[in-house]
Amino acid sequence: MRNDEFYIGWMQGAPATFIQFVRKYLLLIFFLAAVVGVLLATSQKKFSTATFEYGKTTTIKGVYAPSPVPHLSVKNNNEIVFIPLVGYGKQGAEGIIQELEKERGISLANKEVTFNGTLLYGDGKVLLQIDKNEAPLKQLSNAEASLPSATKALGPASLKGEVIDPKCYFGVMKPGEGKVHKDCAIRCIAGGIPPVLAITNEKGEKNYVLLVGANGEKLNDKVKDFVAVPSTITGELMQVDNWLVMQVKEMKNDMATFSSDASSQIASACEASCCKKRMQQ
Amino acid sequence: MSVSYQAVGWNRQKKIYDWLIAGFCVFYISVFVGLTLVFNPEATFETLLIRTTSTLALLLLHVILSIGPLTRLNKRFLPLLYNRRHLGVTMFCMAAVHGGFSIFQFHSLGNVNPFASLFISNTHFTSIADFPFQALGFFALLIFLLLAATSHDFWLRNLTPKVWKTLHMFVYVAYLLIVLHVMVGVIQYETNPVFILLLAAGSATLITLHLLAGRKEVQKDNQNYQLQMDGFYEVCRVDDILEDRAKVFCIKEERIAVFKTAGTLFAVNNVCKHQNGPIGEGKIVDGCITCPWHGYQYLPHNGCSPAPFKEKVSTYDVKIFEGKVWLNPAPYPEGTERPGAVIELEPVIIKPVTPQNI
Repeated sequence: MRNDEFYIGWMQGAPATFIQFVRKYLLLIFFLAAVVGVLLATSQKKFSTATFEYGKTTTIKGVYAPSPVPHLSVKNNNEIVFIPLVGYGKQGAEGIIQELEKERGISLANKEVTFNGTLLYGDGKVLLQIDKNEAPLKQLSNAEASLPSATKALGPASLKGEVIDPKCYFGVMKPGEGKVHKDCAIRCIAGGIPPVLAITNEKGEKNYVLLVGANGEKLNDKVKDFVAVPSTITGELMQVDNWLVMQVKEMKNDMATFSSDASSQIASACEASCCKKRMQQ
Repeated sequence: MSVSYQAVGWNRQKKIYDWLIAGFCVFYISVFVGLTLVFNPEATFETLLIRTTSTLALLLLHVILSIGPLTRLNKRFLPLLYNRRHLGVTMFCMAAVHGGFSIFQFHSLGNVNPFASLFISNTHFTSIADFPFQALGFFALLIFLLLAATSHDFWLRNLTPKVWKTLHMFVYVAYLLIVLHVMVGVIQYETNPVFILLLAAGSATLITLHLLAGRKEVQKDNQNYQLQMDGFYEVCRVDDILEDRAKVFCIKEERIAVFKTAGTLFAVNNVCKHQNGPIGEGKIVDGCITCPWHGYQYLPHNGCSPAPFKEKVSTYDVKIFEGKVWLNPAPYPEGTERPGAVIELEPVIIKPVTPQNI
């Protein structure tokens, strides 16, 4: 750089040596940007193949039941397919069902209904989003209906996995799991979407367990501390059509413990408190 | 400096700068989006938008934070500094798209206000691995918003340069928040070490550049001037200062630039009133001391900006004794006229032409 060369931004041009130098630096910066872009783009985890048919609605006929979670049992060839229902956005389907029941003056439980909604599916599971703004109930049979639902008790079990919200996991969000999606999953479950435990075996195969309380009650306000972190869930496992369902007795992870048994909750709380006191001493 | 609020005036250099910023963004987005779609065809628009804008904003933030120390180490980086605020506003826009869309995606359409959801969904504030990382990004975005909103010289003028500069130093707080946001966020999800390695490389580069630039400044500040006479310190020889240029001396924590122009030495405070730029690394242009950072100008004899501008810097007494420059570090009030020190020309000895000295 010659000593008389001086750069002033408000002038029309820059000295030649400055221009040459900056050009070389810009080439380096563009090259680094390309390297960063390539590395980041190719290092991301694979996205799931689950699908949310956004903008497309499908009509499904089946028998509605509110438990273990609001769902349709749909006859497909010789098997019954269990299709959990979810609402629009981060909402469960219960509110919409209650509005429809109020509107029709009849309980939808165990009635043959035809719903129009948006399908979500992946990994062998299907869910249906119903939106009150899209008049989801197309047909309703007033007579009680039943399908030969295959419910089978599998006994006590303790499973380790990650609590997810099935709406995002099965297509709305990619990724719909893990730390980056945690807040969304908490919000979805708080809004009424049934919690699901996603488990992976040693071969990398996945299975999914709908979580309900020990007496079949909703667990939505109990699972917040177990969402998107490795957790062990213990309870009575059962097979309901093509879904596993667990009546949860206990949930544990590194940060929290939940037990459906009030006395053991007190015991856990005492244990934590005593432990804390011992540490302080 | 604008004396009233007016839209940004684009000159040729600014236009080139802005086109380069736009080109850089388009280039990066093309690479990232194109390759993600090739290697991950199941990617959704929403996730691509969130990831492209976040990674681009972080890349731009590293470029922005590197420009300061780079210009301290090599003056030829100055063209990058001149319009750096446009780079900052671009980075904020990318971060705002990332943050805004993430809040919409992860927190809206639920049973509580999305902004409330941001703070009440994950409340594991005592856990490192499970820390609610989105809150960190939110506070960083607020800082970027404040910096982008006050980036115009109108705010520099109204907030005063000292307050403005202090406010804009919060970019380092925002950077720290962003590093934590990434560390307890995406790095807890992605398993490929590339993510943490790239972040570590970026942070290490910034820290190294800042340390090198800092060391250079400290070396300048730590010069010792022993010879003292009536409050004046001997600082250098008259010949050490080039015409229309300056040398900078730090005496008793006063940074003073001594300029040589038109046969006279003048001493002014080295810190530009605009953004604390190093006046002493500037040059006399059209009779004015011109700051190298943004071209702010001051008259050498009184430290005042030429009308209608109103910036002023302190002036100092300087004198010449036996070919040496002597400097008094006691500052005069900003804008005080001082006579400077006239350089006496050495007598030219004309030798008679003889056959011996031809």
